[in-house]
Amino acid sequence: MEGRDDGGGKVMGLIEKATKSTAQEVDPRLLKAIKSIVRYSDSEVRLSAQTLMELMRHNHSQVRYLTLFIIDELFMRSKLFRTLIIENLDQLLSLSVGFRSNLPLPSPPAVATMLRSKAIEFLEKWNLSFGFHYKELRLGFDYLKNTLKLKFPDLQANAARIQRERQEREMKTKEILRNKFDSLRDSFGLFKYEIEVTIKEIKECMEIVQWRGDDGVPLAILDEEDFEEIRCSHLRQIRLDSLKQSEKVEETSENRVVFDVLREQCKLLVTKHLISVQEGISLLIRVDVSDNRTRDSMLKDLIDIRNNILAAKKKWEEAGFTISMMTGTHENEETNEEEEDIWEEDDGKVGTDSVKNVAPVTRTQQSDNSSLLSSSEAKKSNKASNTKKVGSTGGSLRDKLISEAPVMNWGSQLSNWDSTTEVRANYRGLELESHWGRVDQDAVIPAEKIAELNLQATVYREERTETPPCRAPLKKGGLCQRRDLRVCPFHGPIVPRDDEGKPIIQESPLDESINQTSSTTGTNQDMPMDETTSDSDPNQLARQIAKQALKNIREKDKEVMRKRAKLVKVKVKEHNQEVLRDAAIASTSRSNVIDEEFDRVFAARKNKKQTFSSMRRKKTTAKDRISQRLLSNRVKSTNPQQLGQGNDEKCRETSANQW
Amino acid sequence: MWKAIKDRETGRIRSNSFANRFKSGRILSLQLSNRKDFVSPHRGSVNSLQVDLTEGRYLLSGAADGSAAVFDVQRATDYEASGLIAKHKCIFTVDKQHDNGHKFAISSAIWYPIDTGLFVTGSYDHYLKVWDTNTAQAVVDFKMPGKVYRTAMSSMAMSHTLIAAGTEDVQVRLCDIASGAFSHTLSGHRDGVMSVEWSTSSEWVLYTGGCDGAIRFWDIRRAGCFRVLDQSQTQLGIRPPILKRTAVSSKFYSAAKSSLGGQNRLKTLQSKHTGSQSVKGSSSAKASTEKSRQKRIHPGMLSTLDRATAHYGVVTGLKATNDGMYLLSAGSDSRIRLWDIESGRNTLVNFETGRIQTNKAIQLDTSDDPALVFVPCMKTVKTFGMWSGRTTLMLRGHYESVNTCCFNSSDQELYTSGADRQILVWSPGGSVEDEMVQDEVAEDKDNWSD
Repeated sequence: MEGRDDGGGKVMGLIEKATKSTAQEVDPRLLKAIKSIVRYSDSEVRLSAQTLMELMRHNHSQVRYLTLFIIDELFMRSKLFRTLIIENLDQLLSLSVGFRSNLPLPSPPAVATMLRSKAIEFLEKWNLSFGFHYKELRLGFDYLKNTLKLKFPDLQANAARIQRERQEREMKTKEILRNKFDSLRDSFGLFKYEIEVTIKEIKECMEIVQWRGDDGVPLAILDEEDFEEIRCSHLRQIRLDSLKQSEKVEETSENRVVFDVLREQCKLLVTKHLISVQEGISLLIRVDVSDNRTRDSMLKDLIDIRNNILAAKKKWEEAGFTISMMTGTHENEETNEEEEDIWEEDDGKVGTDSVKNVAPVTRTQQSDNSSLLSSSEAKKSNKASNTKKVGSTGGSLRDKLISEAPVMNWGSQLSNWDSTTEVRANYRGLELESHWGRVDQDAVIPAEKIAELNLQATVYREERTETPPCRAPLKKGGLCQRRDLRVCPFHGPIVPRDDEGKPIIQESPLDESINQTSSTTGTNQDMPMDETTSDSDPNQLARQIAKQALKNIREKDKEVMRKRAKLVKVKVKEHNQEVLRDAAIASTSRSNVIDEEFDRVFAARKNKKQTFSSMRRKKTTAKDRISQRLLSNRVKSTNPQQLGQGNDEKCRETSANQW
Repeated sequence: MWKAIKDRETGRIRSNSFANRFKSGRILSLQLSNRKDFVSPHRGSVNSLQVDLTEGRYLLSGAADGSAAVFDVQRATDYEASGLIAKHKCIFTVDKQHDNGHKFAISSAIWYPIDTGLFVTGSYDHYLKVWDTNTAQAVVDFKMPGKVYRTAMSSMAMSHTLIAAGTEDVQVRLCDIASGAFSHTLSGHRDGVMSVEWSTSSEWVLYTGGCDGAIRFWDIRRAGCFRVLDQSQTQLGIRPPILKRTAVSSKFYSAAKSSLGGQNRLKTLQSKHTGSQSVKGSSSAKASTEKSRQKRIHPGMLSTLDRATAHYGVVTGLKATNDGMYLLSAGSDSRIRLWDIESGRNTLVNFETGRIQTNKAIQLDTSDDPALVFVPCMKTVKTFGMWSGRTTLMLRGHYESVNTCCFNSSDQELYTSGADRQILVWSPGGSVEDEMVQDEVAEDKDNWSD
């Protein structure tokens, strides 16, 4: 009995102490102490309920506020406490919410509003968890909500909404994953094959390159024999590094081709295949499909592939090949040849030994200098050959396709070239809440849109052509350096000239065709050579004259031909006119008289017509008169040209299409 | 409980008394029912509740938004929380949207006492309407001279179908459903009539309580009121309940009195051995009774008697006990008075009411066996012992003032309604089935996480 009283006193003391603070929340330690004591026995619960209700009547919002917190804590835990509190629920509510106009919440007003909102929140929470068991709770909640129209935070509805949204999002994600999985499954074989091919190629390239480097290895070993002499550890370190460096492959002009292939392939492997493999793995891990077997097998395959890729990567990294270097070379290649040196130096910096590094640099420089022009050309051809090499494994169809394919700039858009998968717009892989309002997590950018966004604008770049200099000899010596497109304002049309500025006479296309007909390609080739070599040759002169004569004759022939053609034209014209005239005569009534006998011989059935026309003959209309006059004129004009009449038939044959 | 059943089976207890014992146990344990909810369709304070008199099954409610609704109290329409909570939605409502619904608040809605085919509503829009329950259409309506405060139909009536209507007007009108006209106009009150109650012993007797504080008794066969209750005319104690075996001899009487332990002391006016104070009162009372007897012969009463008041203020509620011997009245003076109908005297039982709503008619109810009175006292409903006036139960659940109490004696349930629009069910607690279901759901437990 005494102990209980003791405990009771303690509870009251604790509660009073807890509610005396000015903090926004009850001291958690005190709260814990209260809880542990109240848990001890029912009488404690009763006592605490009583104390708390008394404290709720305290005429200060802060005290009420803290008391309400303690009540909430105990309410959520003890059933007895709940029943005790609910007996006086209306009182508690009026004291905490202050909905009775005659019982407003006490000062301070700031805390009072907090008290009110907290009380409403607690009431809703209580109603959610225990409303089914306590009609009073339901009633109080209903009254405040529906009668007094107090605004409740509406926890349940919010929670339900959030839950629903999350579910929907998950469903959508699943759907997307499944689609991705399906597409991956469909393209898995090809994908795998491509990667295998790439890895194989890299391996081969590495073999080639390493074979080249074989010479260095014995050298290194040879160096190692001097190794004992070097005592200083620092020097030894340098030595070791240099040895390592020597193991690394070096790019020379000879194996540049191989290196280029290697670079390309490595880049492809790292930037595209490795990433897509990793994506595939994560996709397979996340996706939830009924077909677990294929998924597992695919997953296994993908992991193997990834390991292969990583192994390959490790290998080339061991060989002194780094991604940055590769990308560096790639850029350099495209921009400037000179900068390649810088890259080489960069490569050198990887090692600590500077002395050793000089050698490869100089070597490459030399090679560059020696064939600056040729190397760039070679590179271009290399590229072509690279692609061809790849194509040769893929088959002739691919070759053909590659020849047709447009040349694109390298970019990220190539990695999802032609893909039909949708891309999630707000997917970051991180569960981040946006500061700028609600974010639609399921937003999806359709594949067409992605394609549209990735559309590369290519600017037409005019191929720069070298405008040849005029190269006409100048009086003061030297050659004219003016570069005009066709005509030099000082020296006339630009013609190919030799080193001294003498024009190399080019044959006219007519001549060429003649030459072709005479099938003397050899002389055709000879001539410019001869001209450049010797100008003063008499033989040459004679030949030239002969040629000129030939030309003249041909020109004459041509003229004759042209005249003949003209004649034919004239004849055609005449013939046309004649036909016109005939037609005009036939259309008049007078002309029928001329044709009368002719008609009688040929067409007996035309008799009727004939009589018709004979009846109409006597009438001479104005039209007849005009036609008659026309006829007489024509007859006069045609008379002198009767000579060529015989040609008429020929003309008709040659130009049958005229009429 | 099992023992009692056994006793009943062996014949040691009569089945009647067994049932009474059982019922009284239930009535005394009334508490807010967690398992039965009425879904109130009303948007205003519910002014009137009545369970039908024939089946005790249909609850009629009338509310301040001009709507009346009927509920089935026995069959729930749906359930919540895995069958724990039975929701009773209204079977139908008649509201303002209805073609001939009331425009203003319904102050009173009562069942036709013979069956549930009709019900009557009285409204502040001066109309009193009789509705067909099945078609939910108004059958007859009566235009009253003022706001209708309360309507009543006699549960005993065999020879008339009169609706007594207390209105703003000083006259009480009796509306005949059969003819559709006013059959009586009872004049006597000096102010509006707040409460109307038919006698439970005679079909011709009507009690009315007015805003002038008077309670008048009317015999509708005669002109004028035959009695005005006077709060100053008192008798101490009440008559003993009439037991059938008492073929009233004074000897037995006194024995019975002593056996009751002085609880039901009857101090008749004729006994002159009591204190001087009571002698005084008794003598004056005697005179008045004689006068009233005279007046009963002659229609109309003496003006001095006519001015007697039952309450200081408005008589807001009247309720005749089921045995027809007593009348309970509630007034705006926050008093409940228990009147002996036969003698017309105040029995001076002090009901421990707090405050009682003053400006509105309230509806009291009684239960028989443990003679209890259910009284709406502002936000609570109090249960008093009818003879002792002691509070037995305080039913707290409403958030605003309670208007009506309606006791359903067949189920031993109490329905209350108030200005918070709710209709609450108070049912006997701690029953076996209740606890079984509680176990089933079993969520309401201690939860000490630390």
